[in-house]
Amino acid sequence: MCMGGPPALPRQEENEAVLEVRVQLLGGGGAHNINDNADILSEILARLDGRSLAAAAGVCRLWAAVSRRDAVWEELCLRHVGPASGPAAAGHATRTVVAALGGYRRLYRLCLGPALDRLGRAGALAHAQARERLSLSLSLSLFSIDCYERLGGAGGGGAGAGRQQPPSSLLFLCKPVDVS
Amino acid sequence: MGTFPFQWPMDPASSAGIDASFLPSLLPPPAAPAAGSDDSVSYYGAPQMHPASLPDLAAPFPSRDAAADLAMRRAEEEVAGIRLVHLLMSCAGAVEAGDHALASAQLADANASLAALSTASGIGRVAVHFTDALSRRLFFSPTSTPQPPAAATDAAFLYHHFYEACPYLKFAHFTANQAILEAFHGCDAVHVVDFSIMQGLQWPALIQALALRPGGPPFLRITGIGPPSPPGRDDLRDVGLRLADLARSVRVRFSFRGVAANTLDEVQPWMLQVSPGEAVAVNSVLQLHRLLADHHHHAPIDAVLDCVASLNPKILTVVEQEADHNKPGFLDRFTEALFYYSAVFDSLDASGTASPMAEAYLQREICDIVCNDGPARAERHEPLSRWRDRLARAGLTAVPLGPSALRQARMLVGLASGEGHSVEEADGCLTLGWHGRPLFSASAWQASPAVAVDGEEDNPHNSNTSNVSSSGGDSNNSAGSSSNGKSRSSGVVGAAGNMFL
Repeated sequence: MCMGGPPALPRQEENEAVLEVRVQLLGGGGAHNINDNADILSEILARLDGRSLAAAAGVCRLWAAVSRRDAVWEELCLRHVGPASGPAAAGHATRTVVAALGGYRRLYRLCLGPALDRLGRAGALAHAQARERLSLSLSLSLFSIDCYERLGGAGGGGAGAGRQQPPSSLLFLCKPVDVS
Repeated sequence: MGTFPFQWPMDPASSAGIDASFLPSLLPPPAAPAAGSDDSVSYYGAPQMHPASLPDLAAPFPSRDAAADLAMRRAEEEVAGIRLVHLLMSCAGAVEAGDHALASAQLADANASLAALSTASGIGRVAVHFTDALSRRLFFSPTSTPQPPAAATDAAFLYHHFYEACPYLKFAHFTANQAILEAFHGCDAVHVVDFSIMQGLQWPALIQALALRPGGPPFLRITGIGPPSPPGRDDLRDVGLRLADLARSVRVRFSFRGVAANTLDEVQPWMLQVSPGEAVAVNSVLQLHRLLADHHHHAPIDAVLDCVASLNPKILTVVEQEADHNKPGFLDRFTEALFYYSAVFDSLDASGTASPMAEAYLQREICDIVCNDGPARAERHEPLSRWRDRLARAGLTAVPLGPSALRQARMLVGLASGEGHSVEEADGCLTLGWHGRPLFSASAWQASPAVAVDGEEDNPHNSNTSNVSSSGGDSNNSAGSSSNGKSRSSGVVGAAGNMFL
């Protein structure tokens, strides 16, 4: 199985395989089905935009499992802000770092998604334009700050007087602002 | 429009002394007001605002048009705002002249005017802080009871909120990081000295950027300077642990050292433990101005800059407020601060969500500028031009910030705030401003080439570089993976997160 992302937990693979089989059994014989193979499904879902991909998770359990694959979200993220030469150029090192910081799915949900929304019309925004307003390196920097905050209380002291605040450094992306 | 409440009309009657258009885009403060030498005790050359001289705003008939109502109310507020500002400046003039009685009277008037204004937004929001500060100055002796020093935890708490509410600190961090990243190009052992570590929010992004740099991450050391913690807590160590955690997760060899000091001039070079061969970056975000002093007092700034120069840093990043709040005359300082903080508060206003904590952060600065004098005053902001001279005198040369920094800053500011903020570049320095009024400036410096403190430092450094890049079997490299040195990962992870105080 050629998967771009970090090796899936054995449990997830098993889960998907089981779901695949179930779908095949239930679907009966005959024509090919989008759900026949989780990897093909993954290829297809990887071409969706953020909102659709998030919605895809609600379709059925197989789709939920596949759309949780970080590789799918990686495709999406890199399509928007990855190197102009194409997602492949981002490299293994980036994937490792993003995984350590929380994964592409989280990167999209917390950082890229809101930023693209804010920059307006995420779907319609031409990729070239998006790259001018938001770069992968900037997104990763913001993401790393969020990850850092999640490591524990950014309110000026870890243990002790609990001025613990939930991670909030990325909230500014969600504030409604006229970006025209 | 609604987002820009300071467009007060040019009132021809008030041409004396002050320009009534308090647009934050008006950079220089108004001309110094005429010294009150006449009998009518007016220390400030503003026109007497008699009720009769106010434009007659009451419409002859009650207007049923909601828009007209709103416009009328807005005009009333504008006039009230102008009156309030004139009162505050009058009061400040009286304070400067030592006329306590007049100052109190003006202050009482100002408070009354405030009541008529909305303090939720616009001029009211910032004026209330200046009015409070003036009260504090008048009714508590300014030199004997300075504003109680902020508890470190409170200061950090407010700082964090200020960080989130507006783009200024983010701009500072990201711009400085970009300069540091570029300066560290090709270096394998790097050491960052942070003059004010706070919660360490600046460093995750640098750690991540170093993790991803072509050629792999260097060995990163961070020395964080911060105030001593109250007993029972060790804030510096906590920050160090969290940064180490992050560095470990992205596989950057890392070590942290905390230096507890109340002021920067307590820090001696030996405390920073710079190792030979490592590239040093010194980072100062809003710290240098605290080291300035009045003319007749000794200013620690020179000693600190000497200390910095002696470290022979690859880069010194300096971010400061772009304002002149260190003028000797109280009225000048007050006026300048009123302009400056009006712009900052305006930008907070326009961001949409209220942030009382961010305001409290700014309010502390305002209070310090207005109430404190002499050694007690810490917020001695000076404009970039003055910093350039000072840093040049200390033997440092400017390093232009470069197009990547400008691009990144513009991207960040574009994300963080829709409109109004802008990043400008001038002579290699970046300034972030609101509606044309510069508010914060970022610049980078390095030891002048002529000042070679330790000429040998370069050699071991160079040989260090060539050693590591050529041999795959170096003791530093784990599992002799690839000769491109990309992943100096697994084996050395155990050493990451090394931390000692």
